[in-house]
Amino acid sequence: MWLKLVGSLFIIIAGSLLGFNVAARYAERPRQIRQLITCLASLKAYISYAAIPLPEALIACTGGAKGVISDFFLKTAAILTKCGWLTPQEAMEQALQVPGLVLEKAEVELLAVLGANLGAVDRIEQEKYLNMIHEQLQQLEIEAAQLSARNSKMYRYLGICGSLTIVILLV
Amino acid sequence: MRIFTNNAFYLFGINDFIYHIYVKKGDVNVMKDIYPVLAPQLASILQLVQADILGAVTEIRIRTLKPLMLVLGNEDIMLSAAGQVTKSSHEAYLCTEDDLLKTLQLICKNSRYAVEEELRLGFITIKGGHRVGLCGQIALEQSRIKTFKHISGMNIRLAREVKGCSQKVLSYLFENNQIVSTLIISPPRCGKTTLLRDIIRNISKGIECLGVKGLQVGIVDERSEVAACQNGVPTVDLGPRVDVLDACPKASGMLMLIRSMGPEVLATDELGRQEDAIAVQEALHAGVSVIATVHGKDEKEIKERPYIGDLVKNHYFQRYIILDNTPKVGTVRRISSGTGKVLYCL
Repeated sequence: MWLKLVGSLFIIIAGSLLGFNVAARYAERPRQIRQLITCLASLKAYISYAAIPLPEALIACTGGAKGVISDFFLKTAAILTKCGWLTPQEAMEQALQVPGLVLEKAEVELLAVLGANLGAVDRIEQEKYLNMIHEQLQQLEIEAAQLSARNSKMYRYLGICGSLTIVILLV
Repeated sequence: MRIFTNNAFYLFGINDFIYHIYVKKGDVNVMKDIYPVLAPQLASILQLVQADILGAVTEIRIRTLKPLMLVLGNEDIMLSAAGQVTKSSHEAYLCTEDDLLKTLQLICKNSRYAVEEELRLGFITIKGGHRVGLCGQIALEQSRIKTFKHISGMNIRLAREVKGCSQKVLSYLFENNQIVSTLIISPPRCGKTTLLRDIIRNISKGIECLGVKGLQVGIVDERSEVAACQNGVPTVDLGPRVDVLDACPKASGMLMLIRSMGPEVLATDELGRQEDAIAVQEALHAGVSVIATVHGKDEKEIKERPYIGDLVKNHYFQRYIILDNTPKVGTVRRISSGTGKVLYCL
């Protein structure tokens, strides 16, 4: 009897944690996209106003903030400083390995487009690209927020209810 | 070749206004500025080159699908992939398009937008004041050079500080203990900027043997070659009384310095445009002496040039220093007064 109780408790805890974890990813994604938008807006200012070289601009655009997106920019800057012969796109691809990043394929593709053009054109063109990326990220943020509102609760309930169902079926 | 046979040391001494060049084994400190901006493949080849050769390098030539070449004074040599000197272009390392692209990426720190003005002019100045000249296919916008579409050649010209190279010129730059406006004239690669830099250093420190106290010097360093600034701070010794406006157009820079920093002497490199001539006139009318350089053969030739010629015709400068590169780079051929009187002739 005790064994069944302990076993059921474990199933419920594990199921709930799984549900909460998936829900947290849905909630985290729009937050990270928002941070990305803020950093890119700052990067645009450093590029078009002061023409600061990319490695320094990528550090400056984080504004000393802490977080996954900030780590992503700092890692890209570190790679570009250490291996300057790499393109910004290659550096960004490597930096995407930063732990905690929950960006989906759409954002990663957008970052690849950004990396391909970053630093390769003049200030005016650079500003145009960054504006375009900004707009598309805003659109993705709205979609991610809608998805988060819809799915976060669902996965939390699914985690608890699913584990309860398993327990009932097994008992 | 003399520079190879002479293994004494690398020294720019002055003997009757000729800066003799000797090669010092291992004197390759200047290359520390160059390795970080070369594509890894090129940097690894150069690191294998003998130190006495590297100590004498004045230019590094990189061209797509052509041998990697070092220029040593008036001679050039080709390098193999093992860093050995070779006479055969078949044995030489052929630079690839990728080498040039990666080198450009390293030079501009992956940020073409940060050097767009320099790209329009065709050269970028890197840390240490070394100039990287670019060649390739140009992109135009409304008949104006916009940027480079493709880069096919690079010439990295090494700038070496030669402390003391202006020592004997200095006495000609003063009249009644007052510094006079001076124009240094020579074709490219004759040591104009090196001489200007040393004159600035001496004026700023003060010249004890001439009884001249240190003067406040303002430098407008449009191409970052004179002061070799990094983040606006000079990386070469220019003495204690120097203010530098880095990467600033000469004309507006000179006027800015006069208004803001109150210099006693203004120094600038390579006059040429109409606005440069106007700014020099403004500075001289404001009572500030100007020391500048210009490309040319001598003052008579400069006189025929638009804008700068007017400065010569109207005797704005009181001294002309004519340099050339025979028998050595930095040879002072002649020094004349503004009225044409020859004060020194080799």
